[in-house]
Amino acid sequence: MHATRITFPGRFLAACATGALALAEQRFPPPDFESGYQIPITQTPPPRALALQYLDVVLLLVALALAWYFVYRRRSRRGVLWLSLASLLYFGFYREGCICAIGAPQNIALALADPTYAIPFTALAFFVLPLVFSLLMGRVFCAAVCPHGALQDVILIKPVKVPAWLEQGLSIVPYLFLGAGVAVATTGATFLLCRYDPIVPLFRMTGSWPLVAAALGTVALGLFVGRPYCRFLCPYGALLRLGSLVARWRVRITPDYCTQCRLCETSCPFGAIREPAPAAGPPTALDRDRRRLGWFLLGLPLLVFLTGWGGSHLGPPASRLHPTVALAERYLAPAETRPPVATPTPESLALDRANQDPKTLLTEARRIQQRFHRAGWGFGIWAGLVLGFKLISLTLRPMRTDFEPDRAACVACARCFLSCPNERVRLGLLPPDAIPAGNENPRSEAAPR
Amino acid sequence: MRDAASSTPAAPAPIPAPAALALQRAAIVAAAFCFLVLASLAIRHVQSRQADPWKSPELLALKERLTTQPKDEALKEQIRHMDLELRQRYFQHQTFSRYGAWLLLGGAIVLVALSKRAVAAVAQPYLPPTAGALPGRSHDPARRTQWTLAFACAALILTGAALVLGSASLLPRSDAALERLLSRRAGGDEELPVPSPEVASQQWPRFLGPLGNSCSTNARLPERIDPATGDGIAWKTPILLPGFNSPLVWSNRVFLAGADATNRAVIAFDAESGALLWQRPAPPNPAAAANQVEVSEGTGYAASTMATDGLRVYAFFATGDLAAFRFDGTLAWSKHLGPLKNQYGHATSLITWQGRLILQLDQGQAEQGRSRLYAIDGATGRVVWERTRLVPESWATPLLVDTANRPQIVTLGGQWVIAYAANDGTEIWRADLLTGEIAPSPIVAGPLVLVVSPNDRLIALRPDGQGDVTKTHMAWYTDETAPDISSPASNGEFVFSVATFGMLTCIRLDDGKKVWEQDLGMEVHASPAIVGNELLLLGRKGAGIIAAAAAEYRERIRFDLGEAVDASPALAGGAVFLRTQQHLIRFGRPAGTSSPTP
Repeated sequence: MHATRITFPGRFLAACATGALALAEQRFPPPDFESGYQIPITQTPPPRALALQYLDVVLLLVALALAWYFVYRRRSRRGVLWLSLASLLYFGFYREGCICAIGAPQNIALALADPTYAIPFTALAFFVLPLVFSLLMGRVFCAAVCPHGALQDVILIKPVKVPAWLEQGLSIVPYLFLGAGVAVATTGATFLLCRYDPIVPLFRMTGSWPLVAAALGTVALGLFVGRPYCRFLCPYGALLRLGSLVARWRVRITPDYCTQCRLCETSCPFGAIREPAPAAGPPTALDRDRRRLGWFLLGLPLLVFLTGWGGSHLGPPASRLHPTVALAERYLAPAETRPPVATPTPESLALDRANQDPKTLLTEARRIQQRFHRAGWGFGIWAGLVLGFKLISLTLRPMRTDFEPDRAACVACARCFLSCPNERVRLGLLPPDAIPAGNENPRSEAAPR
Repeated sequence: MRDAASSTPAAPAPIPAPAALALQRAAIVAAAFCFLVLASLAIRHVQSRQADPWKSPELLALKERLTTQPKDEALKEQIRHMDLELRQRYFQHQTFSRYGAWLLLGGAIVLVALSKRAVAAVAQPYLPPTAGALPGRSHDPARRTQWTLAFACAALILTGAALVLGSASLLPRSDAALERLLSRRAGGDEELPVPSPEVASQQWPRFLGPLGNSCSTNARLPERIDPATGDGIAWKTPILLPGFNSPLVWSNRVFLAGADATNRAVIAFDAESGALLWQRPAPPNPAAAANQVEVSEGTGYAASTMATDGLRVYAFFATGDLAAFRFDGTLAWSKHLGPLKNQYGHATSLITWQGRLILQLDQGQAEQGRSRLYAIDGATGRVVWERTRLVPESWATPLLVDTANRPQIVTLGGQWVIAYAANDGTEIWRADLLTGEIAPSPIVAGPLVLVVSPNDRLIALRPDGQGDVTKTHMAWYTDETAPDISSPASNGEFVFSVATFGMLTCIRLDDGKKVWEQDLGMEVHASPAIVGNELLLLGRKGAGIIAAAAAEYRERIRFDLGEAVDASPALAGGAVFLRTQQHLIRFGRPAGTSSPTP
């Protein structure tokens, strides 16, 4: 798909993506019965049957295998698209986005931090399987299995090119989001990545109004910016990027050799195609890059320490995410005037319980805050490493001989294949002699015809 | 479509311009449809927030009104109708949102499909620039990225700093600070621990003494009492404010509360000399109407006996004003719980437990639900817990009983004897045993709790039950001349109770059998006190009798104080303190002479 300017602004203002406005989550008190009616005890729905959970894992495995097949063997955009739609329907709308691989790192983190937490098998499988596939064959999970990616892929209408500097700058956000989610998960407070997922409200067609608004906003953005969530927010995608860097197989635009025709350079709506890079640049630039690299390497430990120290100070404010700490803060806050209304609220009832045994509450809250302090250190160190390595990577000069997808950024959607004349020759859309002789790239990694 | 010469697929045919235009127009229609559905959902969402069954101001106002007019059937019907209407509206909103979401999804699918086709229809194939040098690797994006990262980091640092500085945590920063905080909240505002129960047992910290049974083996009554000559009276100090509450004694202090229609105060005297140490006014309720409360002449504004935990004294008045004073007379805190609904005026006395003040505030009719049992932190005045009691107004003082390491607060109200766990107010047991206007307070005698159903019977209960113990935990009862105002007293062998018309009854504690009874010939409101092995009985008009607390009635002396007596005596430090209508009296040797060691 080629990136073009927006020609239908009115449609953008008037159009709405998939979404729903649901009523805010409310507590619903029972009526005040005077007849002695016994209100039945609230039942919680039973967990999903074990067989169905295993079915989810099997379907995930099958989908990953099919994605590999369509991307690497058939090189079929149509196959990838149909698989995406199937994943969107099953993992997205039917399973309502849960269980999903995006939140699974939190389950892993909590299991490592809390010995009393038993991680579900499905969470473990959803975390491990896509990662294993990414180590072998790149981001096939993102290509056609992840419902978040599938939704964004399907709704993309007219992609706008994001400037490279902005894209590179925003590329650290998924890592920071991942670090924050894992750090908070280790404290047992909440699953941040799930709580603030901007796409799941669309699958569930419900949610608080800020999250629904965020979902609609994400989808509206996704009409014109390719996969904004995947590129600039997805925490699991950050892990898949790292796996893809060392993948055994990688996506190639051309099935044969690169003719340097440049027909593919705007074919990726996600800005993942890189042009060939010369072997060496000007000597002055080389020295400047080397000096910069040296400073970044030297400064990395200090950067990591400073961010770690800063992150530790975020612990107390962040600890309010935990309901026990929030209640303790309310308990210690200056006494509020009791409202004249006789009807108790859940908050007032919780405060009454805190009043009965403040020692236990405050002791537990302090312990949780200490956990957040340690998690803050961990998050800060992680953020420092992410930032440091990003700065270091900007000084590096990778050598490329062909137009090829970036290993980490490419989501293997197969959109670029048809832009390559060699691919068209393979598919019989062009005669073999359509590619003039002498156009081979002598430095191409592929074997010549 | 496939090429006939091969099995490979052919390229799709281009879309003619009129078809592209039609696609665009269809997409616009789909967009308009989506916008309309979204707007409807948004408007409905805003409307639904106003019809929240949990927070509807109209419904809450009606419920509040119902608490003051509990018998208003029309109001109840109005509440039911509005409640039902709100719930129906809530589910209608939910249904509307559900259908709207599906419509929106359908419209969005159509919109996206049409838009994609329309875009494909007008899309031009990409042609790269003419052959030339490839654009060289530019450092610009890398440098710009570095600057972007630098600005982003600066913004994140500023945001983080604002977050940290603007929302300082109230939790203590260290374990030691946490311990100090807990100690301050549990102990006292001077960071001192509350004196132990053993220390409190030597004082007179509440109505009827530390154990809620007016009996002291340490105190002694003088051989002779003659108010005219001063024999048997150590000192007699005038009290300037009236009140029917009994004195408290702690160490070398005697405390009283006094109040009239416009003044409420706590007064402290020196226990040895009777000298006035200080008199402090309780802060009035800023709401003027709360200060105007109707009380009967026989109750007054200060009928409730104070309580002390050794660090502070607590006083409660018929206006609903509650105040805590330190022993030096400084005000620790005050609260206003009025106006109160009590036909005679509030008279239930206060008790303390582990640094908490226990206040039983029964008022109005049972179904009004206005009666409460409070546990209030003594250092701060913060309500630790409160329980609603569906009992009518009553005047008996609660009793703290420690059974099997489970401290419980035994209360009387309406037809019920109800015991609550002292730490959190959870109801432990209750018994349907009482009738009439509950004024006599329960006492503990040995393993039993004695409660009085006024003018009906005296009942002994075993306080180790759970749930409804009406039929299971009554040890015995007797209907021999049960009092209706004064509380009984027991020395562990006998129980002595005095009816208002003056009939004194002695009952054996083991089985409730009457041992003897004696008509004292005087009206009695004050509870009898067991001083050593003698009974001290005080009539309303000031007459006093000292008799043996034994298996037969033996009167030792009679005396006349010359003024009304409604309060019960306090026995501490080997002495007996008594409040009359206008004086505070200490029985015993005059000042300067030694008193028996406790």
